Amino acid sequence: MADQVMVRERAHPRLRVERVLVAGAKYGFLGFWAALCLLPMLLVFSTAFKDPLVETGNPFQLFSSLRIENIADAWTLGKFGRYFLNTVVIMVPVVLGVIVLSTMTGYALARFDFPGRRLLFWAFVLGLMVPFFSLMIPLYYNLRDYGLLGNPLAVILPSIAGAGGTGLPLGVFLMRAFFLDMPEELADAARVDGCDEIGVFRRIMVPLALPGASALAVLTFLSAWNTFLLPLLYLSGEESRTLATGLLLFTGGRTQELELTAAGTLIMIAPVLLFFLLFQRQFIRGLTSGAVKG
Amino acid sequence: MSGLATPAAVDGGRRSRLLRRGGRRRRTPWPLVALFVLPSVAIYALFMIWPFLGTLQLSLHAWDGFAPTKTFVGLGNYVALANDGAFWNGVSHILIWAVVGTIGPIAIGLPLAILLWSGTRFRLAFRAIYFIPVILPVVVIGLVWGWIYNPLFGVLNSILEAVGLGDWTRGWLGDADTALFAILFAAIWATFGFCVVMFLAGLQGIDTNLIDAAKVDGANAWQRTRHVILPGIAPVFTFVLTITLVGAFSVFDIVYVMTRGGPGTATETMAGYAYKMAFGRNFAGYGAAISSVIALVSLLVAILLLRYRERGRD
Repeated sequence: MADQVMVRERAHPRLRVERVLVAGAKYGFLGFWAALCLLPMLLVFSTAFKDPLVETGNPFQLFSSLRIENIADAWTLGKFGRYFLNTVVIMVPVVLGVIVLSTMTGYALARFDFPGRRLLFWAFVLGLMVPFFSLMIPLYYNLRDYGLLGNPLAVILPSIAGAGGTGLPLGVFLMRAFFLDMPEELADAARVDGCDEIGVFRRIMVPLALPGASALAVLTFLSAWNTFLLPLLYLSGEESRTLATGLLLFTGGRTQELELTAAGTLIMIAPVLLFFLLFQRQFIRGLTSGAVKG
Repeated sequence: MSGLATPAAVDGGRRSRLLRRGGRRRRTPWPLVALFVLPSVAIYALFMIWPFLGTLQLSLHAWDGFAPTKTFVGLGNYVALANDGAFWNGVSHILIWAVVGTIGPIAIGLPLAILLWSGTRFRLAFRAIYFIPVILPVVVIGLVWGWIYNPLFGVLNSILEAVGLGDWTRGWLGDADTALFAILFAAIWATFGFCVVMFLAGLQGIDTNLIDAAKVDGANAWQRTRHVILPGIAPVFTFVLTITLVGAFSVFDIVYVMTRGGPGTATETMAGYAYKMAFGRNFAGYGAAISSVIALVSLLVAILLLRYRERGRD
């Protein structure tokens, strides 16, 4: 020990230079990637408020003008208001459906005893691995046969089922893990006090599961808001476009009206960014709980 | 969660679970089970399992999507696939994608996570910033990177010219040599933050006493990383690997937004080819065969990686 301390003291002046260099390299590396994350965002913000007259020179010169009306123009002229509404109409039932169904089924898989319980659990987990492409073609014809093509339900129901990547497979997996962690004594105490099974679930378990459910809700919101292929394939009508498909078709390869495209982009990502700022902890918890615990 | 549980609670949980399994085995009455399980199962079966089985069944048929009857062709679609150069073109792009698109985010995300974990100012701010691209819609990612790569006024070409590399400027997405890698970079940009968050969560689960013990034993920074940190995050590592690899096999949306598979077929993926065949040319059976291949490869890789992970834990 004494040896080490001596060595450190003797090397001190050199070490200080070294330490500054190491810190510089460290913050340089961290800062470089942070800048790379932020700059494209800056580009969107800057272009969204660009005056079309100024734009013709260099459309991507940062903050050369500030025209707030672009947002209003995109909302009405660009129909992004309509797309926004269509996206909400899809997102709300998907989030509610996934939360309610996952909580119930996750609870049953964690706490009930019935034949086929393990099989059912694995059937849901397998859904996490099945890419959307392996069902997209028959699903199109199924939805056509059910008469749902062009109806928001054509996106809502497959999204709940998990075709969009999250949905029930993720929800059942997360909620089951959450209920497994809870002490059974609480439920037993409620049963002794005369609570039936549904009462135990509603009065004891659901309130305790709220942190898990909120993490799931945030993840489901994100994927339902951003979902792109489902509406692209199954909601082709112009009136039923969502923000994702609307934005893509609005762009349609055009290089004019860039400021309206950027304003539409801003309309689409503003709720996502706001949600992220408010519920960062839920985002991170929802994403990491499955992986870290195993 | 589990890290916060008191020893008493963990012990109690285990005891009651043992009791349930061994002693009083009480089947839940079936109406209750049905109430909790059936609605989920119905939606899941109708909109996931049924179309998935439909893909396998359709892949054995020739069908244009409209005719009332489908013609059974056995494995004919798969044989045709094996001899289809356009399909192998898609496979080759996916292999590049699987390698670069998996190594890239991990190679960027792991050092960032270790730096953040080892003590950094503004740690939470950095983590939040790295995560922003992850939450963006793929349409927006494609759009913004399309602007950056724009041949006339794109930011990338402007930067290259500013630093005297004007010769390197080009239409990044219109050039068959660079288009795939340009899209890949946008995809890596959109995923590395996910790796940072996952690895950081894994690192925070490592017992710091182990690291201190390694330091006392004279292990240097590299040895500590190699023998303490990496084994500590092994479960997270396989999880991230599974997600990125399985994601690579079904890459479609970002390519569709940025180039639609072009120029020519320079960026066409397996999934993009399936989409084109099924919905563009109405070869539904052939498209389903490609989808089946994607599904089988994804499931195989996922199961192999998960089994490897299970084995590592024993």
